[in-house]
Amino acid sequence: MRRFTILFALLVAIIPACAARPGDRLVYGLTLAPSGIDPHVNASSELGIPLTAVYDTLVYQDLSCNCFVAGLAERWEVSDDGLVYTFYLRQDIVFHDGIPFDAEAVRYNLERITSDDLASQKARFMLGPYDHAEVVDDYTIRIYLGEPFTPLLDALSQVYLGMASPAALAEWGEEYQLHQVGTGPYIFAEYVPGDHLLLRRNPDYAWGPEIYANETAQVEEIEFRFFVDPATRSPALETGEVQVMGEIPPQDASRLSESDDFAIVPAAVPGVSLMLFMNTARPPLDDVLVRQALLYGTDRQAIVTAIFADTSPVAYGPLAAATLGYEPAVQGMYPYNAERAADLLERAGWSDSDGDGIRDREGEPLVLDLYLMSWGYMPEIGQMAAAQWRAIGVDTVSQVVSYPEALSIASEGTHHLIPFTLSGSDPDILRKFFHSQALFNWSGVNDPEMDFWLEEAAQLGDRQQRVALYSRVQRQVMQQALVIPIRDYVNLNGISRRVQGLRFDAQGWFPQLIDVTLEDR
Amino acid sequence: MIEWVAPRRRPLPRQPITLLALAWLLLVVAVAALAPLLPVADPQAIDSLHALQPPGIAHVLGTDFLGRDILARLLWGGRWTLQMGGLALSLAIGIGLPLGLAAGSGGGRVDALLMRLVDAWLAFPPLLLAMAVVAILGTGLVSVAVAVGIAAVPPYARVARSIAREVRAQPYIEAAWSIGCSPWRIAVRHVFPNALPSLVAFTATQLGWLLLNGAALNFLGLGAPLGVPEWGSMLAEGRGYLRAAPWASGFPGLALTLTVLAANLVGDGLQEALG
Repeated sequence: MRRFTILFALLVAIIPACAARPGDRLVYGLTLAPSGIDPHVNASSELGIPLTAVYDTLVYQDLSCNCFVAGLAERWEVSDDGLVYTFYLRQDIVFHDGIPFDAEAVRYNLERITSDDLASQKARFMLGPYDHAEVVDDYTIRIYLGEPFTPLLDALSQVYLGMASPAALAEWGEEYQLHQVGTGPYIFAEYVPGDHLLLRRNPDYAWGPEIYANETAQVEEIEFRFFVDPATRSPALETGEVQVMGEIPPQDASRLSESDDFAIVPAAVPGVSLMLFMNTARPPLDDVLVRQALLYGTDRQAIVTAIFADTSPVAYGPLAAATLGYEPAVQGMYPYNAERAADLLERAGWSDSDGDGIRDREGEPLVLDLYLMSWGYMPEIGQMAAAQWRAIGVDTVSQVVSYPEALSIASEGTHHLIPFTLSGSDPDILRKFFHSQALFNWSGVNDPEMDFWLEEAAQLGDRQQRVALYSRVQRQVMQQALVIPIRDYVNLNGISRRVQGLRFDAQGWFPQLIDVTLEDR
Repeated sequence: MIEWVAPRRRPLPRQPITLLALAWLLLVVAVAALAPLLPVADPQAIDSLHALQPPGIAHVLGTDFLGRDILARLLWGGRWTLQMGGLALSLAIGIGLPLGLAAGSGGGRVDALLMRLVDAWLAFPPLLLAMAVVAILGTGLVSVAVAVGIAAVPPYARVARSIAREVRAQPYIEAAWSIGCSPWRIAVRHVFPNALPSLVAFTATQLGWLLLNGAALNFLGLGAPLGVPEWGSMLAEGRGYLRAAPWASGFPGLALTLTVLAANLVGDGLQEALG
């Protein structure tokens, strides 16, 4: 009898442990195994998918009002000259390692990000003309800028400028990416590079921004795994290996959304659309008529239908429609019109004199060098576009190159056409591509007027005035026919219908994991 | 006392499977050679309105994700694959055979030196070596053929050497020596004809591997230019559509499998018939 009592007591003790709800563990499929995941150092979007839940930021972007709301900072002030930002911090916040969050922690983080030793790939550049930070008192910090920089709040709302525990940063040094400590709703529990990353619920979390629906996280553990090969993604979802999977291939999306067990959560990603840069510095694309002919001769709708199964919008200008300051006037500018294209080419002096189907001028055939990266459906897009251009008498030599090769080709300007896309919620992203001194000036543009607009817009505090300038830039880019926009990026997230509440932040990439729940089925 | 045991030979006409395999290989070669004359669609014509059509009357083997005719691409694709295979094979034979025969007939230091070289060569997995060569030479038919061919040299040299050594140890070679035949005459009249059957059989088997390695490089995007039909790249392009359109990668996969299998069967059959 006594033995039974002990056994019974044991069972009673064990049962609650076993009775963990099935909703307690979520597996989330990522599409790239990043080489580094320190948000202050590395630049990939994938790192932010888990880490947005590990870190809090000083401010947050609220999509419903398109404004910034309190985060770690409960309020802030900007000086009239736009050079000094003062943040008043919340006083009830502790890092996952138990250390309280204060102004000194913010200063420590900003110092780390801007130090040359760290070689930050993204965070440093997001801070723009950052000069230094000053601790005013325990819970007040001032950021000083070298010149006005309106995108600062946008930058401070992103995980790349998330606040990490100074103690952990000091303790782990270069290994910090394996032992990250923040203040967010999830604790960084375990990371095996290339294999998995485990987050555990932070039970003490009570300082979330108003854009979060829940006070604390609902799912006990979230495990992230990597599915680099697109063909493996929907099978992993359908076999139950994962409950959420990013970047489902468009051809699998319709099947999943028609099923009773799965759904597609599309997330529009703001930034510059996927577009082909036309090198205006290299003949024959130095002729605006030829560039406009290529735009008229590209049936973008057909490309989006065939390759993206109409899951993402056709792009008409350099900014994705989901971006602040998008100028809708670009939509009517270059409707598909092969006759118009042929006409423009004739006017530019290109006609098919030898009857081989390819236009020529002074004995030179009209052949363009097209370089493509292997990801993002670029080879498929390139093949379709090349076939469409062939119909208007333009031949292409296509080559698929690696990303480093593409970067060197584009910076040397030996291309005629090369595609690119980049995400970002502030229209200042245009400056990276269309300023004459820009790193990604792959169109070889040199337009002093546009340079001025782009510089001015980054400094203006007034949103209306900024938007007006960016609108001019977008129209100018299209009038000058610098790019062939193809599509806006939409991340097709496949989910099991057990998953509820999956929403994405203003960047389009990063889920608000605190609000995700997993239902029993 | 030397006992001569004749190996069991089976002439080709008595090997129906080998004949079938041979017929398939000849068919593939013929179709590849005649592809421009065959009444099939343009393999590169994009028709996105008819993408991912199942096999039917308009498109016998269906269409891929850009609406291109799979049958036409298959026929034209074999052309690329076989040209590459033939070129690679010539290269492997051209380097491997003299290397192996020299080592095998020379013996001693020459043998040791050449075989250590081949050992070092063999230490690289063939596909990895081929990828490294493509990385240096760039993509395209010739560089893929060179890459695959160079990677196939060591097994060739090894086999040629062992066959040469085996033949060299035969009593009739000793007899030829003793009646005063010149080394040249021995090599040409005695060693080579007797080594030939084994080499032919090995060559047929090797062809299968070369085709497979070439297709693997194309599958990885390191071969034919974008859009040019090739079995390996067709396989790769169709892979994302396995659920929606299994024919897009199924047929090129089948063609590749059958051809490699046929090459191996022909190799085995020849070994039996000639060995």
